[in-house]
Amino acid sequence: MSKLAAGVCVFLSFLICFPAFAAELTGREVMVLEDERPDGDDRTSMITMTLINKRDRKRVRQVKSFSKDYGKDKKSVMIFREPADVRKTAFLSWEYDDADREDDKWLYMPAMRKTRRISGASKNEYFMGTDFTYDDMGDRSVDEDVHTLVGEEPAMGHDCWKIESVPVDKEDMYARKVLWVSKTAHMIMQAEYYDKDGLLKVYKALEAEERNGFWTLLSSEMNNVSRQHRTLMETTEVCYDSGLDDSLFRVSTIQRGRLP
Amino acid sequence: MRVFVTALALVVCLAASAARAGAVADFADRLKLSGWVEGIQSVGMHAPNEEVTSRARLRLNLEGDFDWIYGWISADLEKNWKIESETGADIHEAWLEHVGNGWDVRVGRQTIIWGRADGVQITDIICPPDYTESITRDLDEIRMPVGAAKFRLLGSTVDTELIWIPVFRAAKLPKDSNPWAVSSAWPAGLDVHQEDVDEPDISLENSELALRVSAYFSGFDCSASVFHGWDDMAAYHRHAVSGGGGTDVYISPEHHRLTVLGLDFARPWSDFVFRGEMACYLGRYFATDVLEGGVLQRDAVKWLAGVDWTPGNDWTVIAQIYGQRILDYDDTLAEHRHNVTTTLNISKDLLNQTLTLSSMLYLNLNDLDSFYRAKADYEISDGLHVILGADVFGGTRAGSYGQYQNNSQIWLKTKYSF
Repeated sequence: MSKLAAGVCVFLSFLICFPAFAAELTGREVMVLEDERPDGDDRTSMITMTLINKRDRKRVRQVKSFSKDYGKDKKSVMIFREPADVRKTAFLSWEYDDADREDDKWLYMPAMRKTRRISGASKNEYFMGTDFTYDDMGDRSVDEDVHTLVGEEPAMGHDCWKIESVPVDKEDMYARKVLWVSKTAHMIMQAEYYDKDGLLKVYKALEAEERNGFWTLLSSEMNNVSRQHRTLMETTEVCYDSGLDDSLFRVSTIQRGRLP
Repeated sequence: MRVFVTALALVVCLAASAARAGAVADFADRLKLSGWVEGIQSVGMHAPNEEVTSRARLRLNLEGDFDWIYGWISADLEKNWKIESETGADIHEAWLEHVGNGWDVRVGRQTIIWGRADGVQITDIICPPDYTESITRDLDEIRMPVGAAKFRLLGSTVDTELIWIPVFRAAKLPKDSNPWAVSSAWPAGLDVHQEDVDEPDISLENSELALRVSAYFSGFDCSASVFHGWDDMAAYHRHAVSGGGGTDVYISPEHHRLTVLGLDFARPWSDFVFRGEMACYLGRYFATDVLEGGVLQRDAVKWLAGVDWTPGNDWTVIAQIYGQRILDYDDTLAEHRHNVTTTLNISKDLLNQTLTLSSMLYLNLNDLDSFYRAKADYEISDGLHVILGADVFGGTRAGSYGQYQNNSQIWLKTKYSF
């Protein structure tokens, strides 16, 4: 064996034994891994959000959620179960991977028996009084932020990549985010959201486990430090690849005011 | 009575469905009861500061899902201390629905809302309005459900909706001692005789038909519709007979056939949604200032342009301008040739969206009269709201809003949903 061949063998062995050194991921590549984390072609779940204010008073919002992938795009529909005054309100969105393309969104208002088009750009609104914005809950396109890998740190019991994400849009409500992305689950386990005045919110994935081969977030918390308010989000009745019909994601379906 | 029979038939259908679906216990599991209870009390802003609105209402909803059929019944129980005729029980909606593959059908008394406008009827003419308390009620309470069969053919982007309304339902107007009733002032020397309103008989040829085709594209929604039915508002035909030193005026209110062609669209852009509607009313009767005859038949175009702006931080701004242009205008007509009104609604959510402050203005540009509502809605706990509001009518007393100046009020409402 020549010295060159021996050197190559040693180098390859080194790569196999220490893959992290083989190719240091960029911040964007980590976020692509997170964005493309396998979660089936469609998914159904019941989401219960408990809103807790500084006096420990609680309010509860419950939604049934359905979503389905269409290539890199996604269609989703949510229908409110609680509280009673917004029960049957339904929210349909067609979310596009292309950051330059606005999402399509409709809202069904049961009292009026009417569906109205709503702005696809208002992702920074808080969702039903929770501490999650529509953007926090949905699939924000990877290229809406510039991501930088700033290190590796454990968070919530997972070995994580630490990423700093700065929005491309300077008008975004966050000045920057610091994200801890699990190396095994490819899921955000912890996040800090900053605005121009400092720390705004802290997010923690409290419970996540593998179900049917897919990493599933079962419980998480968003602590809004600035508002002294937090939201506990729990996910139950999780189901993947149940073959959701395309018709579920149409305006005509939410107009009925009821979903399966 | 007819509605109660319909509701009873609906319950029987649901029970039969349960028998088909399984056991009685299963039947109970498939039923859900919900509803709300509210009370509202107001004081007038002008002396002697009497109440203008004072009522309590319970709404009960019962729904049953039996896979192949779904049923919905809602009933109202109301006590109204100001408008006694409103006190009582009533079936609000009662319908059955079946969903097929690419189509669905809903039969019974139901609410059908068309169009893109907020609180304004342009193409939205299926359900007649209830103006018992003018426009001060919540928008969803102003529309009255109709007995109809609605069939929808559902495509991936285009839906076709065909509606058959066998029984006509007229708009409800305030009358008698209702503080929102409009008094007719007749010149001295006239003896006025008014007949009962002539409503269309129930027959196949008197039924109403409506068709709407709606398309939902990425970034653009639009609809085209045609309605062939009856005008919700009666035309007040007059016939004057002079003699014996005086004049007798005979008024015969009558509903007429009407055809309405409509178009509407919605287009989102950034933080905005732009909306538009237009409807051609063919052969509508308009009141005149002439004693003899009383009405003229004309075509009219109603239009609306609106924009919704959600700039973020829980602000919402909705602005609209709408109008009606009467074609082939005659100077004797009581309405303006072109009547234009604007609306502006600004709202802001505070305290983690538990408090909503809103300010809504209707301003008629012809008469410069207005209706302004300011409202603070606080959610005490899940489903329990306390709402403090003020309704202010201003401008000329000849205007559609200004005539209610004496009804300006401050009100307090509590509503609990369950």
